[in-house]
Amino acid sequence: MLTLIVLVPIAAALILALLPGIGARSARATAIAATAISLVLLVVVWIGTPGAEGFRAEAEVPWIPSLGVAWRVGVDGMSLALSLMSALIFLAAAAWPIELDNARGYYAWVAFLAGVSLGLFVTLDLIVFYVFFDLSLVGMYFLIGRWGHGSAQEAALKFFIYTLAGSLLILIGIIVLGLSMPELTFDMRAIIAETPLDPGGLAAGLVLLAFVIGFGIKTPIFPLHTWLPPAHVDAPGPASAILAGVLLKMGTYGLVRLPLQMMPETFATWALPIAVVGVVSILWGAIVALAQENLKRRIAYTSVNHMGYVILGIAVAGSAAGSEAARELALTGAIVEMVAHGLITGSLFLVAGAFWQRTQDYDLANYGGLAGPAPRLTALATLAAFASLGLPGLAGFVAELHIFLGAFGVYPWLAAVGLLGILVTAALFLVMLRKLFFGALPPKRAGFTDLDRGEVAILAVLLALVVLIGLWPAWLISLIDAGGLLTVLQGGG
Amino acid sequence: MIWAPVLIPALAGLVIWAVGGGRVRLGVLGTGAALLTLAATWAAGDATGGFDWAGTLSLTVALPPMAQAVAVTTGAVTVAVMIFAASHEEEAGLARLIGLLLVFTGGMELVVIASDLLTLLIGWEIVGACSWALIAHHWRAEAPGRSATYAFVMTRTGDLGLFLALFVTYTATGGAAYADLAALDGGPLTLAAAGILVAAVSKAGQLPFAPWLFRAMDGPTSVSAHLHSATMVAAGAYLLARLHPQLAPATGFAPAAMAVGLVTAILAGVAAVRQMHAKKVLAGSTSSHMGLMIAAVGAGFPGVAILHLLVHAAMKAALFFVAGIAKHAAGTFDLREMRLGRALPIVAALAAIAALSLAAVPPLSGGWSKEEVMKALEHAGLLSAAAGILAGGISAAYATRFAVMAFWPDAPRGETSGRGENAALALVGAAVVGLSALWFPPVHDAAAQALGATLPEGSTAGLVAAQVAVALGVVTGLYLARNPGEAPEADWFGLPGLIDAAVTRPALAVSMWASRVDDGWVDKVVTRSATGLAGRATGADTGWIDLIPRGSAGLARRMAGGAQRSDARGLPAMLSDGSARMVGHAGADAGRAQTGLSHHYYAILVAGLALAVLFLIFGA
Repeated sequence: MLTLIVLVPIAAALILALLPGIGARSARATAIAATAISLVLLVVVWIGTPGAEGFRAEAEVPWIPSLGVAWRVGVDGMSLALSLMSALIFLAAAAWPIELDNARGYYAWVAFLAGVSLGLFVTLDLIVFYVFFDLSLVGMYFLIGRWGHGSAQEAALKFFIYTLAGSLLILIGIIVLGLSMPELTFDMRAIIAETPLDPGGLAAGLVLLAFVIGFGIKTPIFPLHTWLPPAHVDAPGPASAILAGVLLKMGTYGLVRLPLQMMPETFATWALPIAVVGVVSILWGAIVALAQENLKRRIAYTSVNHMGYVILGIAVAGSAAGSEAARELALTGAIVEMVAHGLITGSLFLVAGAFWQRTQDYDLANYGGLAGPAPRLTALATLAAFASLGLPGLAGFVAELHIFLGAFGVYPWLAAVGLLGILVTAALFLVMLRKLFFGALPPKRAGFTDLDRGEVAILAVLLALVVLIGLWPAWLISLIDAGGLLTVLQGGG
Repeated sequence: MIWAPVLIPALAGLVIWAVGGGRVRLGVLGTGAALLTLAATWAAGDATGGFDWAGTLSLTVALPPMAQAVAVTTGAVTVAVMIFAASHEEEAGLARLIGLLLVFTGGMELVVIASDLLTLLIGWEIVGACSWALIAHHWRAEAPGRSATYAFVMTRTGDLGLFLALFVTYTATGGAAYADLAALDGGPLTLAAAGILVAAVSKAGQLPFAPWLFRAMDGPTSVSAHLHSATMVAAGAYLLARLHPQLAPATGFAPAAMAVGLVTAILAGVAAVRQMHAKKVLAGSTSSHMGLMIAAVGAGFPGVAILHLLVHAAMKAALFFVAGIAKHAAGTFDLREMRLGRALPIVAALAAIAALSLAAVPPLSGGWSKEEVMKALEHAGLLSAAAGILAGGISAAYATRFAVMAFWPDAPRGETSGRGENAALALVGAAVVGLSALWFPPVHDAAAQALGATLPEGSTAGLVAAQVAVALGVVTGLYLARNPGEAPEADWFGLPGLIDAAVTRPALAVSMWASRVDDGWVDKVVTRSATGLAGRATGADTGWIDLIPRGSAGLARRMAGGAQRSDARGLPAMLSDGSARMVGHAGADAGRAQTGLSHHYYAILVAGLALAVLFLIFGA
């Protein structure tokens, strides 16, 4: 089942790549169909395994036995939640109307990226994980480089090189982990159960450092984030939504799955510095975002801020300090934030894409008064912005509340400093909304058209989930089952 | 169904916004929803409820008598505000205004019925967000949008205190219920109490947060009326009264609450006396009276604060309606341009009643509840009693000045008031008069008993002093109304300018600086250090093991060269070059770390890299 979820989009990508006669409409329909099938299959897995603990829907096909590499798939609550969110973001990105040259190639890459991204979340083999991690770079590189605008080539190259450097560090860590097992294997379940590098010495510390830098680049954390703003600014809207919604989560998901679960004792030793990095990212991302006059750069820097919350949550969860309840809250919050950020920031980047489609201009100073000609855009963008600044009743608040509740029980001073982030994000989003939608309409924006029905429908689905999670998060939290994740951790360590 | 007072207005508000309609339909729907809300608050009784919200975190609500009194007041004021808004405000955007006012009411009711800090926080911030949208209602103009942002950021600064209190309570007790708050002591209790106090005073427009209330006057008048009488601002004073049993044992809580309350009561009064803008007079007055309520809580009489809150809601709603009607007739909020007594005789009469009540002139309701506050302050000491009496005198001065300047009989002109406006004003006016029954001992004893409030005993000297202060205030107000002088150069004695210079502008400067540093320095340090590190390591590596990674590094270099030619700029080239060397270094490291099957890993690594590089070359 999970194999199909990966193969269907990749097959769709191959069809699109190999059949030259496919027009833009059928190419888009193919990508929509493929991602929709994956989403439906994931929902089937979710519904089919109610209340399951640990990994579910597991499957294994031997591949390179001498190296301990196999095609292994399976999901736990965290990866299932992230896969569901990712599949939805891909579906939204594929369905988002956008004018393109060579639409066939574009949709082929979107489908390809959907397959490898979902593969990354559902695989239980570290080498396969690494392969998907790298392949996702390739997919995104082309989406930015070929369909981006401005200095897209340069931005794409910067993105590629930063994250490739990170992925090589991760590969080294993976190889060391595999080799340290009593019997060579890259089976994640076995490594999580064995935690071969604990209790950590210098070598384990270096492997942890490699993972933190490697995944930290992808997340991104301060100061490894400078590839992110140019990549977003020059990417097409839907690609930005994928980059923020899905690809950034690979970094934080990797941090939980690999260092936190596979070397918990080493992680606990270094949890405090990691938490500090998280808080610095929270504040730096928000403060820098406040100064951005470019719509997309502003949203991009809020990703640094939000991923900072996730890093703080993960660090607290792995700290082995404070109460277990506090750590569970923090991990719950971190995973909810991954899902929430995917939906919210995905929506915000789609909104940014709508601006580019209409005006080819991201400069906030050139806008104003759009609430008049574009009330639907105003309403949906406002909802997404308030979700992003953590308003109660919306998903971001649930995540940030859990993270801070947990963090306060472990690192109260860090949490108190990080709390300032929610004030700065409030300011930066409200100023953004005012500059875009309030005041007088500049003459050159007189013909600005509101969102069409398709755009509204896509944003409405994403934001409906944001509202649902905000009003009643219990279902998502029970799906994620962070408590189960932590129990496994203690059983292993 | 204890959730009904929250759900009815919130859902009805969204539906009304969505379906829209004309003035009459919106008025009927809005008033109907408000009446239902009122009925729900009345029917909910002494109920409790809970909602399994997020696994370990539940939302709990309760409606003890004091909370129910405020819940009913909020519902009742909403009815009047609906009638007023439907007839007074512009028809364009009226559906949004009515809808959001109802959602705003729902948020306030959630604050009122909350019985844990998490539920409180949720309602608290939703109220803040609604106020943002409502203040920015006239979004086409430049000022409302800016003021809305100002108000939200200012009050959210205070909200951080509530976050802090929640975290402290939860960390110390494993729960966030008001009962858990009571279980705290020592440092955590002080911290939680301080957080709640900061949150409450920011919402209640106390110093140093007070200026946001003046900025909020850029919103429509119906919004101001709602905000000042029974929602947002009142939430601050209500919260402190509601949590008084839990907060009172905290070190320094009582003196801090009294100090903030009384200083604001006096200074906000002075700010109001100097104002020419009708709504800003009332805004200053609200800050001042919220200060008196908070001081009463500090003095140990939360029930008195609640009673004053109820009475204040009626008279302040009335006065805002009056200000809106007067603005409509005069075309400006400038009191010097009004003198509408002949044009609006009925409004003038009702305004006089509400203003005299605000001035605390017996036998009107405001006189009774303010006198109770004065007696409460007397219990706290001579200094606070004197401060309260002074604030009361100032209150009498600006209330008199407001009514006289606005409604001194002059030549009739301008438009008269609408029927809906009159009806809304008559409703709250009747409440002001009706509540005056509180002067009768059986009535106020019964009210105190129903609320579970203790009424303070006061001295005759205090009573006389307060009445003398009121009389002097009225005379001063009359004098100032005849000699208005010049408008003050800056609202709030220049406090907004100070906040701007000391907080806002430095914060923006830091933000600009950080942005420049991020674009330049951070980017360069990361890439340069990677380049340098990798360069040294590659140089030190020798032997056959380097051949493979060197090969790939060479490939990557060529790619980098290509990029350089196409871009002709330094940074990407330097980046690619650096990472190419880093690749070499990484490969070498991996080689040293392992034995045995190492060639396989090299195969994987190099194959992956080569694939990636090929993609890059052909794609770029």
